Amino acid sequence: MAQAARSVTSPPTAAAENNLQPFFVLHKAAPPRKPTGKTRRRIDLSPQKADSTVQVLDDNFRFESFNLLWCKIDCTMRNVLREINACVFEEIDRWVRESFEAIRACGVPNLARATRPHPIFNRAETAASRQLFTAILLTKNVEFVDDVLTFVDLGVHLRSSGCHVAQLTSLDFSAKNGVGGCLKTLLRQFLTVGIDAPDISILASWYTEQGNYESPLVVIIDDVQRCCGSVLSDFIIMLREWVIKIPIILIVGVATLDALRNTLASNALQCLFPRGFTLGTPAERMDAIVEAVLLKHYHGFSIGKQVTTFLRNFFLRHDGTLTSFIRALKIVMVQHLLVEPVSFALVGLINEEDTKSFGGENTLLRETMVKRCLDLPSFQRSSRSNRNGDIWDCGLSELKRFRKLWVCMAMCLYEVGKNYKITLLDLYCEMLEPQLLNSGTPCHFELEKDDHSLFGGLQKGGFVNQIIQIVRGLPAVELCELLKSWETLTRSITKINEKVKELQSLTTFDENRPRRDLTETSKRHTAKSNVNGKRDGSTINEKVATFVDCTIRRYMQPIESIPFNEIVFFDNVDKLRTALIGDPRRRIQADLLESHKFLKCSCCSKNGSMPSPSMHDTSILYTLTQEHGDLINLHDWFQSFKSIISHPGSKAKQRLRLSPSPKKRKGSIEPRNRSDASIQAEFCRAITELQIIGLIRMPSKRRPDYLQRVAFGL
Amino acid sequence: MGKEESPHVNRRTTRSSSSTTPNSKTVGEVSKIISNTQSLTVNDLVISDESISLEELINSFPHRRVQILELIKLLGPLNSPMIPLFVYGGASTGKTSTVLEIFKHLKRPFIYSSCITCYNPRILFESILNQLLLHRKNERNGYSSAKRCEKPSDFVNLLHDALSTFIDRLEGDLWKSNSKKSPSQVTGKMIYLIIDNLEHVREWDKSLNILPFLFNLYDILKMPEMGLIFISKTSLDTYHSDTGYAESLPVYFPDYTEDDLRKIFMKDQSNPKLYSSFLDVVLRPFYHTTRRVDDVTNAISPLYKKYCEPLDDTGITPDEDTKRKLFKHINPYISQFLKETFQVPSQPTLKASASKDKTRKKGITKPGFWESLDELDFHMSTCAKYLLISAFLASRNPATLDASLFDSTGGSGNRKRKRKSSEKSMEKKESKEQELLMKGPGTFPLERLLAIFQCISSVAEYSPGDEVPQIDGLGANGWDSGLMSDVLLQLSSLCSANFITKGGSCPLEGAIRYRSAVSEDMALKVARSLKFPLPKYLYSR
Repeated sequence: MAQAARSVTSPPTAAAENNLQPFFVLHKAAPPRKPTGKTRRRIDLSPQKADSTVQVLDDNFRFESFNLLWCKIDCTMRNVLREINACVFEEIDRWVRESFEAIRACGVPNLARATRPHPIFNRAETAASRQLFTAILLTKNVEFVDDVLTFVDLGVHLRSSGCHVAQLTSLDFSAKNGVGGCLKTLLRQFLTVGIDAPDISILASWYTEQGNYESPLVVIIDDVQRCCGSVLSDFIIMLREWVIKIPIILIVGVATLDALRNTLASNALQCLFPRGFTLGTPAERMDAIVEAVLLKHYHGFSIGKQVTTFLRNFFLRHDGTLTSFIRALKIVMVQHLLVEPVSFALVGLINEEDTKSFGGENTLLRETMVKRCLDLPSFQRSSRSNRNGDIWDCGLSELKRFRKLWVCMAMCLYEVGKNYKITLLDLYCEMLEPQLLNSGTPCHFELEKDDHSLFGGLQKGGFVNQIIQIVRGLPAVELCELLKSWETLTRSITKINEKVKELQSLTTFDENRPRRDLTETSKRHTAKSNVNGKRDGSTINEKVATFVDCTIRRYMQPIESIPFNEIVFFDNVDKLRTALIGDPRRRIQADLLESHKFLKCSCCSKNGSMPSPSMHDTSILYTLTQEHGDLINLHDWFQSFKSIISHPGSKAKQRLRLSPSPKKRKGSIEPRNRSDASIQAEFCRAITELQIIGLIRMPSKRRPDYLQRVAFGL
Repeated sequence: MGKEESPHVNRRTTRSSSSTTPNSKTVGEVSKIISNTQSLTVNDLVISDESISLEELINSFPHRRVQILELIKLLGPLNSPMIPLFVYGGASTGKTSTVLEIFKHLKRPFIYSSCITCYNPRILFESILNQLLLHRKNERNGYSSAKRCEKPSDFVNLLHDALSTFIDRLEGDLWKSNSKKSPSQVTGKMIYLIIDNLEHVREWDKSLNILPFLFNLYDILKMPEMGLIFISKTSLDTYHSDTGYAESLPVYFPDYTEDDLRKIFMKDQSNPKLYSSFLDVVLRPFYHTTRRVDDVTNAISPLYKKYCEPLDDTGITPDEDTKRKLFKHINPYISQFLKETFQVPSQPTLKASASKDKTRKKGITKPGFWESLDELDFHMSTCAKYLLISAFLASRNPATLDASLFDSTGGSGNRKRKRKSSEKSMEKKESKEQELLMKGPGTFPLERLLAIFQCISSVAEYSPGDEVPQIDGLGANGWDSGLMSDVLLQLSSLCSANFITKGGSCPLEGAIRYRSAVSEDMALKVARSLKFPLPKYLYSR
């Protein structure tokens, strides 16, 4: 790299190879930031040890376990999303059938009539004979990324139930291609042949001819708001002309109804016979995914408070798409597996049956791993057992048991919050709070103030507190339901389950339900003494609330306190942030200012960030930029650049100056034999690079001799 | 011309065998063809499923007697040449259906092409030729047209040929009339060419050529056997005609009056009494907003369902009392339907469950507590919301106002303030140009948007109390880092969602300018969801 930089500074060679210059500059920042770089570096740094084979194995194993784990998670997420959509898809399917029946009820035109271009006028004026059946699928999301898959799935679903499906995207409705463009795509998808002059009558004859008329034609349009409105309107009006002859049923995806109204012309809207369907909101899907990935199906790793909060903020504030959330989760996983020394033990944790035989096939690996485990700070903190062989299994099973309890409690709490718009992600963030246990009264800490503003009066208490409040105020019937659902949730953990059952019996007793039996009432007494010996006369709600409170305190210990938590636990938010966001502009600026750190050449490293002639032109120029305000006088800039370039020896004198004095300039011209023209050429090229990177803006017509700085600060 | 005229409808016979079909490609394959893919015959150019008498025809179109009789008169007796007709009138006044029904009544062959379906000249030409040549696109011919035709000049030649063969065939059929085959439904040996939705031709690219060409087609062809009928929503005056078109006879279809509409709606009603009482209530308000039959039908048919809701038996004849009751029931809905013609019913099950949820919740929590959350009915990240608001502000407020609005609250550091002031002077000059540029919601450069965004998001970040970000730290950190790169992404997604439109570049600066496309209501809604005091920032002119 240093070599390259030097060659660039010398003008003649640079001229020869400067074609790729801007890209050169842009590239420099990239390599050391790549996450893969970390593994490599790790290998490089520890070659002196004999266990280089272990390292390789280690890396392989990390990679494998990542693949395995992510595969599982990905699979779970897909299933969850599919389940969320399944209900809506069923509805749509039914509706498509109904609409098709309605269209067919208007009479099935024979071949000759169906292919005639004139409209059929029906005696019975029903909606089907005038309008297009249209399902409006509200995505309720500005971003569309999350729904791409949904629409693909919908297409598959409808196809499997025997419809002819064509899927158009907003790209097909471009102003450039007009109606012909989308018609072409439509015909290609239905007919599976390319058509030279697309014409809707072709579809009509295809539909009748092929004997396809038993099934409806469904046209799915992905993302209406991104389509060209006029083209889509024309398309709809055209389809309307063939309304009975071709039983086309439209399914359009759009964020809101308003967006649809804004996109389509009113006469096209009149052609639609709409029916609204709503997809799951992003928040709902998010909850479902969090529930599945982080709670229900144990994928062996859990994320800490900081990372969760970061992810949550990222989702709510920045991106708002599930796709990016999933990507972030993936990065978390990668980071975890890369950074934590024994994180690959995760796989063993997941494959429950062979926990013990884990690593058995490779004793070398197992040895190093156990050694590493012993070094884990969490283990050393709670060094209670020193039996080398057992700690592993003990620790893992302990970890698992703890995990099970925690998840169970979390699910119970979520069950309460579900109906009150408490999102699981928020709740999850809060439950991870290490202070949850220690603070005298639970949940006296603050979440971000955003949520305070969102949740009106209940700022001070967190969500857990809120949930306890809700439990206190719950009417008896709902409380009963709640306990019932808790009962099923806690079935695997007998301790909690028993208590829940006791509470259940209490409620049935209090309500004088006829179906209570003797065993339950007898249990009641133990319940009173067990759950809450202190307060006796309080209502059943109070009891449940105390039960929640107690169990949270008893069972929801922060995972950090458990030995071996490093295996599953990741909470390094900085790593995640750098990997996720990257911040390329900032990187470019920093690298330009501190190029010597990367180049590690002898010439520049001495005087720190002072510009020296051996530096890259762009780097010099950008360093000089720092002295200016948001406007840079081109002349001054050039002069100072020139003086730096042409003064290799006198670095000491070449201190940064706010504006180079004319004297300096005069002195700077003489010693170098470099021509003004070549310096100017270098100058121009460097400026162009800066412009391409987007750090400065070229002079405007109003101020021809001033450049504008675009980026400020780091 | 001089062939014998058919005195009676349905007397002439024709054969629909393969020998007479012009589609030579199919000749050898007839036997193979499945029953429903017979080749076309001349018979297919008439609407032949049922005959309709003049009386029925007139009755089926209330208040169109004059037009129908005029049209029949203009079409003339059998086999008489005619001048091109130009049928025009507002949307949904029954032009197309009347004309088609007249042809059904007359049983004369016609060719119909709508300029909506045929969206460019080529499709139009080929569609006409296909019909004339009795060609059907099917799998065997690869769904291609009979003739490829893109230029008007080609079209004239091809049309001429096709017409003459077609008329020969018609005459041939007449010659064979004494055969005992199934009677032909075709009468006469004129062929009529109906071109519907002519006003769409004006939007075609080369409309300058096509329109005069179509109007002159009759003169160019010089074939009296072809009759031309144009149907258009706009009158002849709207087709700039300085090239001296062949005269075409205009036939005007006036808008329906309220009585006509009533007659139309009363047609084929199962319970005329009930429906008429319904129309008494409903028709007048709707008539004031629109006279289009389709619009009114769309609007009132769901209303009628509502109207019948309280009734157990929709077959009853309502007395005064029930009428009054029903009126009371329907009244609130009328204004709602008047305002919003595009109603979208949602899935019944989900809706029901949702409403059940709502009622359940209302019992427990304070009403209005969750309501505020519901206002914005779609998901958007906070960052995007702020961007949207800043874009709205940048569009609404003049640029000169920015400094006074945001300076005191915005930057806290020294440098920032300095930057702001220089921006202020910059923007002053900018605003001068902008005044020249600006019409409607203002456009703004990216920098201004980002500056406002920075200000309002930082205000929101630090306003409630300073202790919070320090304690938690996470939120604030996550917010600040990566701000820029992400914001640009968000901006692009807002642009593609049509909330912000990318305007053309400014002629002076060359940078892309943006414009906010959201309504004030929407912006306020978004602001409310963020608890951002947007009204305070709005500059009222």
